[in-house]
Amino acid sequence: MSEKTGGGVKRREFLKVVGASSAALATAACAAEDTGKLIPYLVSPDQTVPGVSTYYATTCRECAAACGLIAETRDGRAIKLEGNPDHPLNHGALCARGQAGLQGLYNPDRFRTPMVKEGDAWKAIALDDAINRLSQAVAQGRGAAGNAVFLNQHESGSFPRFLDSWLAAFGMPAHLSVDAEADAAAMEANRRTYGVSWPSLDFKAAKLIVSFGADFLDGWGASVPQQLNYAEARAQLDAAPRFVYIGPRRSLTGLNADEWIACNPGSELAIANALAGKGSIQDAATASGADAAALQRIATELSAAKPALVLSGVTGDNALDVALAVAAINQASGAVGTTILSAQPITSFDGMSRTDQVLAAVERMRAKQVGVAFVRGVNPAHSLPRAAKFAEAFANVPVRVSFSSYPDETTELCTLIIPDLHSLESWGDAEPVRGTISLQQPTMDPVFAGTMGTADVLLAVAKKDAANAAKFAATDYRTWLFSTLPGGDKAIAAALPKGIMAGSLGARTTTVAAAPTAAPKAPAIAATQGDFFLVTYPSPVLGEGRGANKPWLQELPDPVTKIAWSSWVELHPETAQRLGVDRGDIVEVKTAQGTVRAPALPYLGIHKNAIAIPLGQGHRSAAQMATFQPKNHDPSNVQWGYGRYARALGVQALDLLPLGTDGAGGLVLTSTKASISKTGDHRTLPSTEGSARQHGRGIAQAINAADLNNPERPEHEEIPGDANHAFLPGMRSPVAADAQGELGSPTSANQGILKGMYDPADSRGMTKRRWAMTIDLARCTGCSACVTACYAENNIPTVGAYWQNASIWADERPGFNIERGREMNWLRLERYFEGNLDGKFGVDFETRFVPMLCQHCGNAPCEPVCPVYATYHAPDGLNVQVYNRCVGTRYCSNNCPYKVRYFNWFGYGESDRKQYAFPEPLNWQLNPDVTVRGKGVMEKCTFCVQRVREAENRAALEHRDVRPDEFTTACAQACPSRAITFGDAADPNWSVTQVARDRRAYHVFEELNTYTAVVYLKKVNHPAAGAAAPRG
Amino acid sequence: MATTAAPSRTVERPNIPSAAVRFPAIKDYEQVDREIAGTLRPTLGWFAALGIAILCMLIGATTWTYQIHEGLGAAGYQPPVMWGVYIITFVFWVGIGHAGTLISAILYLFRAGFRTSIYRVSEAMTVFAVMTAGLFPILHLGRPWKFFFLIPYPNWRLIWPNPKSPLVWDVFAILTYLTISSTFLYIGLIPDIAILRDREKNPVRKAILATLSLGWRNSDREWRHFTRAYLFLAAFATPLVLSVHSVVSFDFAMALTPGWHATIFPPYFVAGAIFSGIGMVFTIAIPLRKAFKLEHYITLNDLDAASKLCLFTSMVVGLAYLTEFQVAWMSGNRFEQDYFWNRVFGQWAWAAWIMLICNMVLPLSLFSQKLRRNPTWLFILSLFINLGMWFERFVIVVPSLSHEFEPWQWGSYKPTWVDYGILLGSFGWFFMWFLLFIKQLPAMAMSEIKEVIPPRMKHPDPQLEHELDVGYPHPSETGEYGTA
Amino acid sequence: MQGVLGAFHEIDSALHAIEELKKERFGDITVFTPTPRHEFEHAMSHAPSKVRIYTLIFGLAGVTFGYWIPVWISDYWPLVVGGKPVASWVPYTILGFEVMVLIGGLATVFAMFALSRVPRLTMTVGYDPRFSGGHFGVWVVTDPNRADSAMDILKKNGAEEVRRER
Repeated sequence: MSEKTGGGVKRREFLKVVGASSAALATAACAAEDTGKLIPYLVSPDQTVPGVSTYYATTCRECAAACGLIAETRDGRAIKLEGNPDHPLNHGALCARGQAGLQGLYNPDRFRTPMVKEGDAWKAIALDDAINRLSQAVAQGRGAAGNAVFLNQHESGSFPRFLDSWLAAFGMPAHLSVDAEADAAAMEANRRTYGVSWPSLDFKAAKLIVSFGADFLDGWGASVPQQLNYAEARAQLDAAPRFVYIGPRRSLTGLNADEWIACNPGSELAIANALAGKGSIQDAATASGADAAALQRIATELSAAKPALVLSGVTGDNALDVALAVAAINQASGAVGTTILSAQPITSFDGMSRTDQVLAAVERMRAKQVGVAFVRGVNPAHSLPRAAKFAEAFANVPVRVSFSSYPDETTELCTLIIPDLHSLESWGDAEPVRGTISLQQPTMDPVFAGTMGTADVLLAVAKKDAANAAKFAATDYRTWLFSTLPGGDKAIAAALPKGIMAGSLGARTTTVAAAPTAAPKAPAIAATQGDFFLVTYPSPVLGEGRGANKPWLQELPDPVTKIAWSSWVELHPETAQRLGVDRGDIVEVKTAQGTVRAPALPYLGIHKNAIAIPLGQGHRSAAQMATFQPKNHDPSNVQWGYGRYARALGVQALDLLPLGTDGAGGLVLTSTKASISKTGDHRTLPSTEGSARQHGRGIAQAINAADLNNPERPEHEEIPGDANHAFLPGMRSPVAADAQGELGSPTSANQGILKGMYDPADSRGMTKRRWAMTIDLARCTGCSACVTACYAENNIPTVGAYWQNASIWADERPGFNIERGREMNWLRLERYFEGNLDGKFGVDFETRFVPMLCQHCGNAPCEPVCPVYATYHAPDGLNVQVYNRCVGTRYCSNNCPYKVRYFNWFGYGESDRKQYAFPEPLNWQLNPDVTVRGKGVMEKCTFCVQRVREAENRAALEHRDVRPDEFTTACAQACPSRAITFGDAADPNWSVTQVARDRRAYHVFEELNTYTAVVYLKKVNHPAAGAAAPRG
Repeated sequence: MATTAAPSRTVERPNIPSAAVRFPAIKDYEQVDREIAGTLRPTLGWFAALGIAILCMLIGATTWTYQIHEGLGAAGYQPPVMWGVYIITFVFWVGIGHAGTLISAILYLFRAGFRTSIYRVSEAMTVFAVMTAGLFPILHLGRPWKFFFLIPYPNWRLIWPNPKSPLVWDVFAILTYLTISSTFLYIGLIPDIAILRDREKNPVRKAILATLSLGWRNSDREWRHFTRAYLFLAAFATPLVLSVHSVVSFDFAMALTPGWHATIFPPYFVAGAIFSGIGMVFTIAIPLRKAFKLEHYITLNDLDAASKLCLFTSMVVGLAYLTEFQVAWMSGNRFEQDYFWNRVFGQWAWAAWIMLICNMVLPLSLFSQKLRRNPTWLFILSLFINLGMWFERFVIVVPSLSHEFEPWQWGSYKPTWVDYGILLGSFGWFFMWFLLFIKQLPAMAMSEIKEVIPPRMKHPDPQLEHELDVGYPHPSETGEYGTA
Repeated sequence: MQGVLGAFHEIDSALHAIEELKKERFGDITVFTPTPRHEFEHAMSHAPSKVRIYTLIFGLAGVTFGYWIPVWISDYWPLVVGGKPVASWVPYTILGFEVMVLIGGLATVFAMFALSRVPRLTMTVGYDPRFSGGHFGVWVVTDPNRADSAMDILKKNGAEEVRRER
């Protein structure tokens, strides 16, 4: 289905022509240049027509996976990131973090110029000056090998090789390629078992999926390709594999599972062995606190499932052992080559250094053995536990150079800052899968003239050095890169439009060293002191913290807890009741290493013996906060603590962890117990969740796989308030039907006689079109990529920053506007729990995700109540909102059953206000096709009307009709599950029409006769044999 | 107008002493002029009260200015609760604005004698209440400076408001109501202004009054057309009163929202409006009769009669409340049932019970004649009624919106100082106008009171005596109505 | 215009005076009374007021106009809202009614003004401030030679004060 539903693909075909022709100019586009001009090219090339987008294929660097991007640029500015349809990893999809890369590019807190620390003060300096200082520092560092440390963010591609050659030239040891989120244990096990660090996974082939805390949908490995594949697997409906999740906490991936086995942290190994038949079920049950019968059942299922797919993402001290045990199970079930494709490995993670190597380096620093330290794109001061005492060790290094673009914790400790270019401004490459090179090209001139690509900085330094000038003769990194890539310039120029080329890069020079003995092993968690197991996990949206300075990601509610702009402590409702803790009560979590205070969140999906705290928040700074003025755009106003959007938000859970590594040298995130105590304070959690239950209102409907083809199944079970409601698949409001009730019913006798308001002959002059959408809940995983896509496409303001409140007598706390329900997410992801109503531990529950957006009703309740015609029905079935006409009575929202209309409570678009959502240069990202809404008007999902009109105009220019699936909406384009299909329901050639005919189709609140244009397809559950999935 | 003499014949109150005579303590026309014109002298207390009112009004004005600058986010809106204190207060004031015209028009047609003494006050109250209410729809707009989009003003591109929208019906209804009720007030005032004119010594004031009185001369010709016009105006105003609050109720009843979408709303709202109106009349008239020493004009009989009306409307409103629950219960509609359960036993129980107790329970005390004739109790009760009616609107607006179809979007609501500031301002604005009024123009219709008290006679002859005592033959006998 | 003005303190005297004046064929009599007394209406026996006709006509005009506005508005920009007919007459009844009341009501008032010759810019002859207070006045328009007999009648019936005016 996804082939059909990926409506964006055809659109891309057309656009690549443009891309190709502009490849040449792209090569010209990387020279640093004053960006003040409206069209920041040296010479405006013929291809650049103001107001017409140009598209560049490049590579995403937001995580190590290196997906392919297509960057839409308008007048020389990148305005939107979308997935590259030709890329072997993401096939056109893109996750929220990837799309938010744009806000890294335009981040208002980016360094504008190099800076040097003199005394306690930071001084802005010129690039040349910075380079001189750097070469002096390097000169000092020369000679004594091992006296330098270069911590580089892990990235696949040629740069690491270039970097090492440079370091070698200056007699420095190879750099450390750091990724704080990577699962070292899994990779080590993969290498030992399959000989590759990350095989690609084929869920489709699996008969059963068992995951030991492996969150393959939210950050474990290469999420997007895994999610695409998983969605395909689930889309096989009754043939889809059952998914069992085993772990102390139910993550986003866990919520997608059909069954959850809650176990004590550390007991996964016992379970794995038991399932493998190597250990007794009973012992496993006692160790894990799980139900023996359930384990037995799964063991049987597992032995029957050939092949199965078993994954381990355990973050405990025995992580490696579990990973190896799991690998054994896979081999036994014949997974290798069927569900685990080690022949088509994902090579992005190759050559990644391990935490213990970093710790060793830190110890060398502490021992004053390091003369110069470089940091690029990593933030150890934040992503290492405080127990590592990084800051003190780092202080012992005389010269500390940061190439970071953002004022993060580590950079604040440095002495010299030479801000790097963003990946969208610079050249690069990656080898995401073996044999395919993904090219990274600049999509625009650097935003800030004072920034320079680190590679070019290094080249410049080398040139200043007599001994190395010859070795680094290339004029700039691009030249160097092109000279190394296979095929040479011609092949590259040919490949650039598609962003990928065949071929392999040279082997990485960084090798994964054997774990130094120095690195402390983590103690067995059971041995530590405390009442609860403490589970810390990287946030699905903020990662280990690098996402925290991007307002889109802060505003995007956590897919599991639906909390934004905050940290929280998850504990089971039973536990909460026992401790007398309510949602939002501030609790103090205490371990041997430290304490944090954060609001409590009773959450069904956590073991009653465990508490969980997400990572990613808690960015700190020694500098004073008082200097911050929202309206102050002065570059010297550096926002230490990772920028205005991250600083002093939530807590840093790593403060609680002891320093420990697992057998594979990875940092152990589940390494200690903690005690928890209630403090007097309370803080309303900034959550977008109203009620987590649907009270039987049939918003998110599901069906058991067994019932799919069962004609006996009652049709109207989930339709409230309308007992004998006839369930009719497909669009209830097709073109041939009148939107006015009776005639709309396909069963009506008047069908075909009265054509209704979409009939061209109708006096109301509707055109023969009905833009519509289908959303397949069997595919949707709740990852929320569509939400961020909507923010990016439609210039939706983020409202959660603590200063975005009224001026007088208003509390200024992060997420205040979210607490008040004022978030503007035109498309929101609702997460409903089913079953286990009284929150008992041990009773399994089901989760349903529903993307909820304007349903563009045929009988739109919002329209007649508007006193000024600010919202009315467009002839092609769109429910239109006219911002200029809107006076803001908000009656439309009151009358909207779906509550999908959002009001501009403040002047989020007015640059002179503290509520301004797009401080310079964030406003460069704004989509010129979409109005930035003013204060006091209503807004809502438009079905990306700007894309509709663009396609129609293009078709008109080419004297043709709009082709089926020629284009699609931003949400549908981004969706890594391919759950959303958009198109013209009036035309059977659009895939949306076929999808809507699905047996599972339903409309939300069908009984209100709103005749929505959005058709949902029921989620398909695969309950354990005997057990029935909860209904709602 | 003259018809108000009738009640002394028609209304029988055997249990109340001297009920047969309307104003036993008022002897002749001169006394009326003397006493009522006497109330116009400004006093210290009046200045103090006016000062406070203006202060509150200014607080409101400042707050509004701030809100316009900052955006509606300054107020306590908490989506999905998109309407809050402003709409609540709008409906509250519109409701109060109903007593006036009810008393002056409907009771006029029904020949309810007790209206004579209180109708001027309540008419003034009506006009100022509607003036206050009229502010709120503008005040709650996201872009108040564009409020005129709602009015069908001629514009070059002929862009008009949407006549299907209840809010546009509001515009028409409220504006009509404001015009008609102020006209009504002014017409009634003309003869009294003439009286003041003729008593006035100061030439400037005399000139002004002369202009205001339009040179009224009390000639038989003037009176003849006057009484007839007044009659028709009343006949028009009567359905208007009923329509206006029905239209206001459509703002809610026309929506899908559970708790709003009910056919019972129009009668329910009208009854509630009259109920709250009477309440406000008590709140105003009882202190007034004390301050102005007019106890022998607004007699206990009048209060008693008004209380009965109050009691009646209270019971109608109470019935409406119960009917709502019963309808929700029997509808089998899950949304409605959830909502009403949540209203009384859930999140909003406190508000709902304030409403039920103030509007349903306390007024039952009026079954006791003692309390009906006890001004102090009536005053206290009236305060509770005002509170209760404000909360009735709160219970209608907020809980419905906070507990709609979409559980994911269920929410809460907490007003901020901005809401309260503007609420306070509305009271300041209302009382400012009212206080200014009662010292400039008579708070009681002199010429109409004169109508009720017997005129001086040289040698009363029995036939005429009879007529005077009973006023004059009922219009149906003189066939006046037949021709109307 | 000249005539005789009598001020009475008692209503019955005024009434008798009027009856006698009528017997004596004094045509143009105006009564001033602080408050409308129907005794005078009977005594003067005028035709009922014409106000109602204006009320009727303008009321009908109003309702027509009130219906027409929204229909025209809807058709001028035929926008579909809520899938309803462009000109849906049912709700327009409300506007029709409101406009009827507005126009009808105002028309009534202005008709009243016109018929009773209000506003009156000058206090012409034949009025006394007392008439708005406690006194009843009778103003007889007559030529000088019959003025005396009129004054006699007024006096005889107990007028407090009788004077000629011109």
